[in-house]
Amino acid sequence: MSYQNDEPQIPQQVLESIEQANRWIKHHLPKILPLAVGALALLWLASGVYSVNPGHKGVVRTFGKETARTDPGLNFRYPWPFQHVDIVSVEQIRRIEVGFRGTQRVSEEALMLTGDENIVDAQIVVQYRVADPSKYLFRLRDPEAALLAATEVALRSTVGSMTIDQVMIEERAKVQADARLFIQRLMDAYESGLVITEVKLQAADPPDAVRDAFHDVVRAREDKEKVINVAKGYQADILPKARGEAEKILREAEGYQQERVLLAQGEAARFLSVLAEYEKAREVTRDRLHLETIEKILPDIDKVIIGGDVNQRLLPLLPLTTPGAASLLNPRGATAATPVK
Amino acid sequence: MRTNLFSVGGLVLVLLAIFVTRQVFFTVNETDQVIITQFGEYKRTIQLPGLALKIPFLQTVNRFDRRILTSDAPKAEYLTQDKKRLVADPVTRWRISDPLLFYKTVRDESGARARLDDLVLSELRREVASHNFDLVIGGKRETIMDNVAKSGREKAKEFGIEVVDVRIKRADLPQEVQMSVFQRMQAEREREAKRYRSEGEEESAKLKAETDKQRTIVLATAKQDAEKLRGEGDGTATRVYAEAYGKDSEFYAFVRSLQAYEQFLGKRSTLVLPADSDLFRYLSSPQPRTNTAAAVRVAR
Repeated sequence: MSYQNDEPQIPQQVLESIEQANRWIKHHLPKILPLAVGALALLWLASGVYSVNPGHKGVVRTFGKETARTDPGLNFRYPWPFQHVDIVSVEQIRRIEVGFRGTQRVSEEALMLTGDENIVDAQIVVQYRVADPSKYLFRLRDPEAALLAATEVALRSTVGSMTIDQVMIEERAKVQADARLFIQRLMDAYESGLVITEVKLQAADPPDAVRDAFHDVVRAREDKEKVINVAKGYQADILPKARGEAEKILREAEGYQQERVLLAQGEAARFLSVLAEYEKAREVTRDRLHLETIEKILPDIDKVIIGGDVNQRLLPLLPLTTPGAASLLNPRGATAATPVK
Repeated sequence: MRTNLFSVGGLVLVLLAIFVTRQVFFTVNETDQVIITQFGEYKRTIQLPGLALKIPFLQTVNRFDRRILTSDAPKAEYLTQDKKRLVADPVTRWRISDPLLFYKTVRDESGARARLDDLVLSELRREVASHNFDLVIGGKRETIMDNVAKSGREKAKEFGIEVVDVRIKRADLPQEVQMSVFQRMQAEREREAKRYRSEGEEESAKLKAETDKQRTIVLATAKQDAEKLRGEGDGTATRVYAEAYGKDSEFYAFVRSLQAYEQFLGKRSTLVLPADSDLFRYLSSPQPRTNTAAAVRVAR
């Protein structure tokens, strides 16, 4: 009590009220104490009430040992230090991303070797949920980190057993299926209590350094198709035309054939008719035909009528009266002689 | 004053009881395993969770994790059988199977990790060195890792550790080799692109040639048939003519000749006619002549 020198600083009023409270407590303590203890006990018990949301499970541990699982709804446990409850969502689908986070690519995760010693840029999303809350809570330290590592292991292993073309184009579905099985196998071995619901290969692209070359292959493939299509177009253009032309040739030939036959038949008929009449009056008909023909010919042509021996008198006439011969000698035309009309 | 003493004594008693209780009872969690030592001397191991007892003050509880743990070894370069370099970082999953042995040999988790990493690295180095690069990357990766895990498991037993498995998280080429891989990939793709374009040209040339061939054949076939048809027409005509004209060939020659004269004697022809020809016999005399043969000489 030697340090009570400081006390006078406290106002008299305060000291009095403390004294008053003290007296009050001493007077009432026997009545209040059980009440206070009871209230505390009640509060303690009430802190054992907890609710489990739909899709969740409660795992109750009694002195550290798992003793019960509770379903959604209002539940009770004995509070500390007896029981402890962990509530785990068993229906929520969770996801992890490997090779990227959000929109950011993580190169050292994304770049991986393929079986044919190429490098591919792969990004994957794994969806999972907790199937066994006890295992999830108590069997594996940091299940999410383990899943991330297992995903990398599985993806690289799967990609490593395929060629780059298989990974990027042909076997994407197989990459996903194989990786999923692999991840599940690892997570089961690690007693993670997790179930992999889906593995999605978000991207499987060539690395930036060679992207252009890969795109050029795609373009080349399109070029190939284009050139082939042009050739097919040529085919589609040329062949029908050729068939049309062939048809034309045939029809022309058929026409010619018919024409020839019909003409021949006509001429034959004409001849036969004339012949029939001719046989009735040979001499007269012959002379008539002859004269008719000459009559038709002669008006239009140059005529030279020579009396006496034709062979002797013809000679001096020839160069003068033959326009054909004159034009042969003189290209400007036969103007030297005027034929007799 | 008496009540005051009572309450203070009661409080001390309660605190003492709690202290002693905590010294006697302890919980082993689901995630824990425990060894009890008495002044450093091993007494027993508890691997099952729940409430447990010990002698107060004399015995100490040493807790260890019962879960599966991870050890992620640092990246290192490995040499494959075909002398290629490979950068890999193995991940080991393990658990403490014998806490006493563990406590004796490696003390705690970081000690265990150091030992495990050494062990796994040397096993992995040995396994990788006896396989070719492509097998490490692809086909045999699992077998290799199983072997590493198996021998690692054997050796880790002496630390009270059970190795669950060993995996290569990443297996990549060293940075400087990566560039040459990119160059090779580029060259391969350029070759492929060229091949596609050439294939396109090839296919196109084939198609065009085939088209031209088809067209030629179609036209030639048509011409062949056309010639046949024309021939048939000519043949039939010839037969018809022959049949008709054969009835009186001399008369045919006469009529046909007249037709021919009509055809080829045009305006540019000059006809030399002897004045005493039959044509002109009535020009000089109205009397019929005995000789009736008409002669016409034609000159062009």
